[in-house]
Amino acid sequence: MRRSLYTSGALWIAASAFAQVPKAADGHPDLSGIWQALGTANWDLEDHQPEPGPFYQLGAIGGVPPSRGVVEGGDIPYKPEALAQRKQNRANRWKSDPEIKCYMPGIPRATYLPYPFQIVQGTNVVLMAYSFASANRVIEMGKPKAPSVDTWMGTANGRWDGDTLVVDNSGFNGLSWLDRSGNYHSDALHVVERYTRVDRDHIRYEATIEDPKVFSRPWKISLALYRDVESNATLPEFKCVEMTEELLYRDLNGLKAK
Amino acid sequence: MRIRASAAIALGLLSLSLSALLSAQVRAAKAPEIKAPDASWKVPRTPWGHPDLQGVWTSDDLQGVPVERPKESGTRRFLTEQEMKDRDGYVGRIIQSAETGERPKEGFWASQKGVDAAAVPANWVEFARRASALTSLVSDPPDGRIPPLTEEAQQRSANQPSYTNMRPQSYKDMTWYDRCVSRGVTAGFFPSIYGNGSEFVQTPDTVAIRYEMIHETRLIPLAAPGEADRPRNSSKMRSYMGEPRGHWEGDTLVVETKNFIGGRLAITFAPYSEDLTLVERFRRTGPQTLEYSVTVNDPGTYTAPWTATFPLTSEPGYQIFEYACHEGNYAMRNRLSAARAEEAREAAAGK
Repeated sequence: MRRSLYTSGALWIAASAFAQVPKAADGHPDLSGIWQALGTANWDLEDHQPEPGPFYQLGAIGGVPPSRGVVEGGDIPYKPEALAQRKQNRANRWKSDPEIKCYMPGIPRATYLPYPFQIVQGTNVVLMAYSFASANRVIEMGKPKAPSVDTWMGTANGRWDGDTLVVDNSGFNGLSWLDRSGNYHSDALHVVERYTRVDRDHIRYEATIEDPKVFSRPWKISLALYRDVESNATLPEFKCVEMTEELLYRDLNGLKAK
Repeated sequence: MRIRASAAIALGLLSLSLSALLSAQVRAAKAPEIKAPDASWKVPRTPWGHPDLQGVWTSDDLQGVPVERPKESGTRRFLTEQEMKDRDGYVGRIIQSAETGERPKEGFWASQKGVDAAAVPANWVEFARRASALTSLVSDPPDGRIPPLTEEAQQRSANQPSYTNMRPQSYKDMTWYDRCVSRGVTAGFFPSIYGNGSEFVQTPDTVAIRYEMIHETRLIPLAAPGEADRPRNSSKMRSYMGEPRGHWEGDTLVVETKNFIGGRLAITFAPYSEDLTLVERFRRTGPQTLEYSVTVNDPGTYTAPWTATFPLTSEPGYQIFEYACHEGNYAMRNRLSAARAEEAREAAAGK
């Protein structure tokens, strides 16, 4: 009795929270807004301990913070032969991570970078614009389109499953990583994302990641996205290219370049 | 100015991504004339009643239209019958080159003297599908000429990084376009050699414009009905794409943008100052056309404001491809390493 009261109370709370979710003109939940993941999934999708960074001068701001992972079941199911690559990536994480070079982050990583992104839910497409690297993508909501060419951000087709936006992503070039700890994928990556706006200020984000070249089975991540609730919220332009050029081109500087 | 733009693009071509190549090839085709809308045409509307600008637009048809009007055309906004015939012939020849893959002997290609590597076949780049009747992109002042630069702006442009610098000491000697940082607001609409597409996505309170070249997105907050534009952030938050605010005036979307980073990107030859204000107007004029106009007000750069006005078109099958400019920027390493190799060669020769 007590338990069922509790359950119905929880359901009632959930229902009233969902009632606050704005609706688009077509009656679907409106996901438009500026969103950001908290936590440290971008450091490592799996559970991880703190670790010093490579530059002692940076002290406490230059290391890896600890966090719970976001992988359902805890571990990413790598194929045994694919683990060596992750090990190598991890050993070179401070050098080889494409994020260091300001390369487009790919999907799902774009979602849990430590920077905001904005969803603009149009009538035929959903635009996602990311602060980092000015990366963006357009999710086709009409007739699904096949990838024309492999890209960093992939080709995205969306549909509604009840109140959840489901986005099917493929056509990746296989050059991006999944986090800063060397978790990776190949060009066979297939990601199915689910965006559920559970109340005004939160989206439950889930992504099922499939890549038969790297993983033994599909696996899932789940994390919350938080809305920027400030009335003057804007998506900051983060042109990170300028932060990478000394790193990428310094070896080719002439004698006169200071 | 056209020559400068073309040459910068020629260098940019060295870093052309595969996707850009594919996009040009997919699109090579003649297109039917755009007819004026008939009497029954009405501005399409979103479910919430705003004019619907959504979809992909391109300025490809403006290829071959000079930014500034040739002096002999005076205050004439449109071509004469003979001039139109000439441009039509030019457009036809370029389309033919795209189909055959043969290198044209005029326009951009003729301007690439002694740089065989840059003079790519016509089907590597975008081109007009039909000839525009405009004499220039600039519509005001009435002579279609950009007002003279201020003295300060002349100095600024003399000191800017140049794509013609064949001995760059570092990436800092390259333009912000060569570096794949940004091309700014207007460059997304002014026709260039490829990547002239822009995609509009709307909600009741936001218009997003996603540029094909360098994959930049503008997110324009709209004023609530009957209210003023939303207040801006402070000028400490400057950016390449600036801070836009939009509102509807009848069926016209009006966007005012400020808080630009000054002294780097240029709309014409001279980099603009941080006092730049752009006022853009977007208006549907037919089933396949969106009229674009931009007024450039920058007293630190131009001695008077000026305006460019031209139509964008929607083309069936036009796709925006991911332009991974920085990710595939081999031109940076190639140009820098070429400069170092030249220096080493000269040093060995005892120069």
